[in-house]
Amino acid sequence: MKIRKLLLASVAIACAAMPVSALADTSGKKIALSNNYAGNSWRQAMLESWEKVTGEAVKAGVVAAADAFTTAENQATEQAAQIQNMILQGYDAIVINAASPTALNGAIKEACDAGITVVSFDGIATEPCAWRIAVDFKEMGRSQIEFLSGKLADGGNLLEIRGLAGVFVDDEISGGIHAGVEQFPQFKVAGSVHGDWAQDVAQKAVAGILPSLPEIVGVVTQGGDGYGAAQAIAAVGRPMPVIVMGNREDELKWWKEQKDANGYETMSVSIAPGVSTLAFWVAQQILDGKDVKKDLVVPFLRIDQDNLEANLETTPAGGVANVEYSQDDALQVIEAAN
Amino acid sequence: MNALVRLFSRPWIWSWGAAFVIWFATIMVTGGASTLGLTQAALTFAAFSIIVGLGQMFVITLGPGNIDLSVPATMTLAGTVALKFMNVENGMILPGLAVAVLIGVAVGIGNYALIKALRIPPIIATLSMSFIVQSAAIWTNRGLRIKPPSFLADFTTSATLGVPNLALVALALSLLSWLVLEKTVYGRWISAIGQSMPAARMAGIPVDGVRFITYVFCAVLAALAGYLLACFSGGAALNMGSEYLLMSIAVVVIGGTAVAGGDSNVPGIWGASLFMFLVVSMLNTYGLGAGIRLIMTGLIIISVILLAGGRKPGAR
Repeated sequence: MKIRKLLLASVAIACAAMPVSALADTSGKKIALSNNYAGNSWRQAMLESWEKVTGEAVKAGVVAAADAFTTAENQATEQAAQIQNMILQGYDAIVINAASPTALNGAIKEACDAGITVVSFDGIATEPCAWRIAVDFKEMGRSQIEFLSGKLADGGNLLEIRGLAGVFVDDEISGGIHAGVEQFPQFKVAGSVHGDWAQDVAQKAVAGILPSLPEIVGVVTQGGDGYGAAQAIAAVGRPMPVIVMGNREDELKWWKEQKDANGYETMSVSIAPGVSTLAFWVAQQILDGKDVKKDLVVPFLRIDQDNLEANLETTPAGGVANVEYSQDDALQVIEAAN
Repeated sequence: MNALVRLFSRPWIWSWGAAFVIWFATIMVTGGASTLGLTQAALTFAAFSIIVGLGQMFVITLGPGNIDLSVPATMTLAGTVALKFMNVENGMILPGLAVAVLIGVAVGIGNYALIKALRIPPIIATLSMSFIVQSAAIWTNRGLRIKPPSFLADFTTSATLGVPNLALVALALSLLSWLVLEKTVYGRWISAIGQSMPAARMAGIPVDGVRFITYVFCAVLAALAGYLLACFSGGAALNMGSEYLLMSIAVVVIGGTAVAGGDSNVPGIWGASLFMFLVVSMLNTYGLGAGIRLIMTGLIIISVILLAGGRKPGAR
């Protein structure tokens, strides 16, 4: 009896805290997270944010369940099978970080046909029946060049570190970077390597191309590769260029060390792993009957010279600078799209 | 003349030749200015492929079906746990090394236990082992990047007389492997098992013991490579071993070791590892797109294997 009262009370509080969705009719709904990969710090932070925010939401009775599932092999076929399992298990909504923008479309269509709400984020899916929460990756690339043009008025040679070849995000960011170079023609991309968004791969690739490069004034990156680039450049004793960072804790820590030692200036930009929680709230709102546009845009998280310390403090060791989204944030994003 | 013919009949000469041609083509872009930098970078990064490649070579020499897919996960677990254990203290370097080696031993024992006791084929057994090991790595540190002790960080990133220290470590391990393979009974046993397991059994070779030791040796080398890589790149990352799965197999095959087992080749691993690093550097230096780069890498590897594998029938 007592537990029942407590539950009722917490539901009441949850309702009071959410003025827009006055009727918490999602309290019986089950939401699943289908995640294709967990083997790096960004994905770990993403899963932790999901656990934290949805855990509270489940406790507050906003939804009945919010379970996270990760495939072992980062394969689209495996994730498609996982989605089919979720359909059979009777989830009301599936939030997806997709292994491929197209290969999961069949499974997602099946889910839609079964009356399930599908929201894709970060790794988005092109299936029209699904919602997409995308980052403006092109702008993320372009803004790096814009930042460098303010820092280095004379321009010069840039080294571009790309992500995983063949992945949609890599093409988008790189496209933005090259658009930026066209806009600010004082810069030239002198070399380009694939760092696979991993420090050690980036370090290896940069060390390999560095001996044959002229002097580099800036390094444009995609996140997860800045520290590796710094290690490779420091190893050969070249003057340190402005390396745009990607919000990882080791990158921010290195930046802070350099800033304290010699006033090193740069910026850091990436997508916050907490975007999974935004996707969760969007799915919840759709289940609640809210009219939501199919394409939503989430702002990226940028760190500058003056707010470096504040961000470094809140970033967990070994993690990524993060923002967790609330239901109000989700409503704002939804409103902005309308 | 006869010596020249003998030289060209060595399976490892092709990987060395390919590595040299690519090295030359890359330094010519800058008119030779990048010679020292490129050579040092190639030796440093090849060292990791060499160390994991040596272990994989021992396993592959055991004959058809023998392969260790748990190499990347072992590297990751050894790197993360050892760095966490050392906790940036110089005094803990040797205990940290011991921890890494013990992890290798444990993974090796686990691998062979699955293969032997549960009769699972090595490719499945080591793959499932790698899931367990990788999950253990995720569980132990959740991507926490702890810096290596300062002495170890300096050691792995600097050079002695112009030769990177890591390359010296790889050289020592290669000499040891070569001695074991060519000059000890154990080495002969491995080759014998690879050529025909039933025959080896009938000849009274302790087949299970030899295979067991070999899987443990491979895992220990992988753990060692993970330990060094984590120190070299300023901390362990959860995905740090991932590219060494295919790399460890590729350097063995390109280096001229028989894929069917029974015939191993230590010098070839060096040529192949340098080649694998240099080919990416060369294509990057020429500024080719990723698509062309991957196609070229594939074509170059196929041609080297064709040349190296062109043994006369019955030459063994």
